[in-house]
Amino acid sequence: MTDRDALVLGIETSCDETGVALVRVADGRPELLVDAVASSVDEHARFGGIIPEVASRAHLEAMLPTLDRALDTAGVALDDVTAIAVTAGPGLVGPLTVGAAAAKALAVGLGRPLHGVNHVIGHVAVDELVHGPFPERFLALVVSGGHSSLLLVNDIATDVTELGQTLDDAAGEAFDKVGRLLGLPYPGGPHIDRLAREGRSTIRFPRGLTAAKDQAAHAYDFSFSGLKTAVARWVEARQDAGEEIPVPDVAASFAEAVADVLTAKTIAACRRHGVDTLVIGGGFSANSQLREMAAARCAEAGITLRIPPIRFCTDNGAMIAALGSAVVRRGLPPSPLDLAVDSSMPLTRVTV
Amino acid sequence: MLLAIDTSGDVAVSLLALDDGRPGPVLAARRATEPRRHAELLAPMITEALAEAGGRRHDVRAVVVGTGPAPYTGLRAGLVTARVLARALGVPVHGVPSLDALAAQAYAAGVATEDDVLVVTDARRREVYAARYRPAGQNEGPDVAAVAGPVVERPAVVAATLGAGAVAVGPGALAHPDELHAAPGAPVAVDPAALAALALTRVARGADLPTEPLYLRRPDVTPAAARKRVTA
Ligand SMILES: [Zn+2]
Repeated sequence: MTDRDALVLGIETSCDETGVALVRVADGRPELLVDAVASSVDEHARFGGIIPEVASRAHLEAMLPTLDRALDTAGVALDDVTAIAVTAGPGLVGPLTVGAAAAKALAVGLGRPLHGVNHVIGHVAVDELVHGPFPERFLALVVSGGHSSLLLVNDIATDVTELGQTLDDAAGEAFDKVGRLLGLPYPGGPHIDRLAREGRSTIRFPRGLTAAKDQAAHAYDFSFSGLKTAVARWVEARQDAGEEIPVPDVAASFAEAVADVLTAKTIAACRRHGVDTLVIGGGFSANSQLREMAAARCAEAGITLRIPPIRFCTDNGAMIAALGSAVVRRGLPPSPLDLAVDSSMPLTRVTV
Repeated sequence: MLLAIDTSGDVAVSLLALDDGRPGPVLAARRATEPRRHAELLAPMITEALAEAGGRRHDVRAVVVGTGPAPYTGLRAGLVTARVLARALGVPVHGVPSLDALAAQAYAAGVATEDDVLVVTDARRREVYAARYRPAGQNEGPDVAAVAGPVVERPAVVAATLGAGAVAVGPGALAHPDELHAAPGAPVAVDPAALAALALTRVARGADLPTEPLYLRRPDVTPAAARKRVTA
């Protein structure tokens, strides 16, 4: 068995999904065998957001059943696993702790190396399972309810630079908050997306951090909180005037503002860094306006766009097993058994 | 050998020899008292204990774990470690309430003989976990049976509702001397070896020993408040 030939088990528990996946590396190429996920999202819906303690309890209960389901589906015995990868951060401490403890127990029980890896970079790494080896150098936009980050990737396992990130709300978070103010059920993102497709973009909402004065310090950073406030003001003014709210048009205008800022800044960064490939990951990459606008603008700029299918964009074990397999293929040393989870793990840190 | 883990207060690990289904001598033990680092410390402590005992991981025949009650994150670290490690080793995992061990330790130390024992541990937020026990040993070996609790309550409430005529033991009794009077010589920390002995006694009796956590409290949830206006 060499580093070009491995079976990596990945565990993800940074938020409300318990993910366990297996990636086989054969002759240096990673292949996904199984991606098992259990979610506690329904338990959180009535609270209008993720409750960390509820998620942590669900992770403990789901861990063994999800592990067993992954092994059964792949027809693999635990003893065949050659390395364990686990999300070390960023994320919620309680949920992260359950996954890390499970991964360490596997490492001890199987006598195999443990690799703690970065969740956000996992959202990028998973695309290698779908679209094949990454080019030498590329840009990655990771957008979800928890992250909005623009990354320059020289090597997915060892060399990632953060070009920009959100200064306030993540893109998905802004969608959920606007969903709430429009009276839509939690999580609001998919509802706004659906309504936006019925409406037309008729309202010019602000594009955060796109003014000339922001270019020096925040060329690749995002801000969605001003946009969210602008939507709220617009809606309240109509309500106060006793007018009906054209919800589909508000949704379409808001969604367009978000997609516009995300894609404009990302394409500008690709040009600036002379990069010809863009990978978009994270749960918010399911958003239809973002997908359409990114496809059109990348085509226009001659940039190859890679977006994994939606099931790989939400949180899952496959992204962690994928990044773990990249770490194993580079022959990087394992993480220490006393590794601590890091809720605010920096994005320049791929492994711990 | 048998691996026993408790993360209800300290992080504690013991490896015991197995003597024809009964607990033999403790081969290695580790204890750390750093609160909130359970998940970091536990796995290295297990590998250290294995090395000290001169054992290999495949010598472990069963895993025993304390099920609390305890503050949640540390408790879960112990439970998920025990469950997954047992799966990886292909051996059974047995859960025993952590308070049961302190009661058994009190009887074994002679702190109480026929009297009931009130076990009290720290639950943070000025509350304690408590349960009242009596000895319940049969042919399979010494055991304890909870006659009340476990509960999570203010120390004064525990003293008033569960304490009458019982011998108080455990770190929660020591921490609240005004309400609870810890017996001299009473155990102050869960000994995983005591958990292991209880588990083997109960397994011999044919009992099922689930590893479900004793949280006792519901999760703190703050439902999203009604949306506030941004314009006045
Ligand atoms: Zn994520």
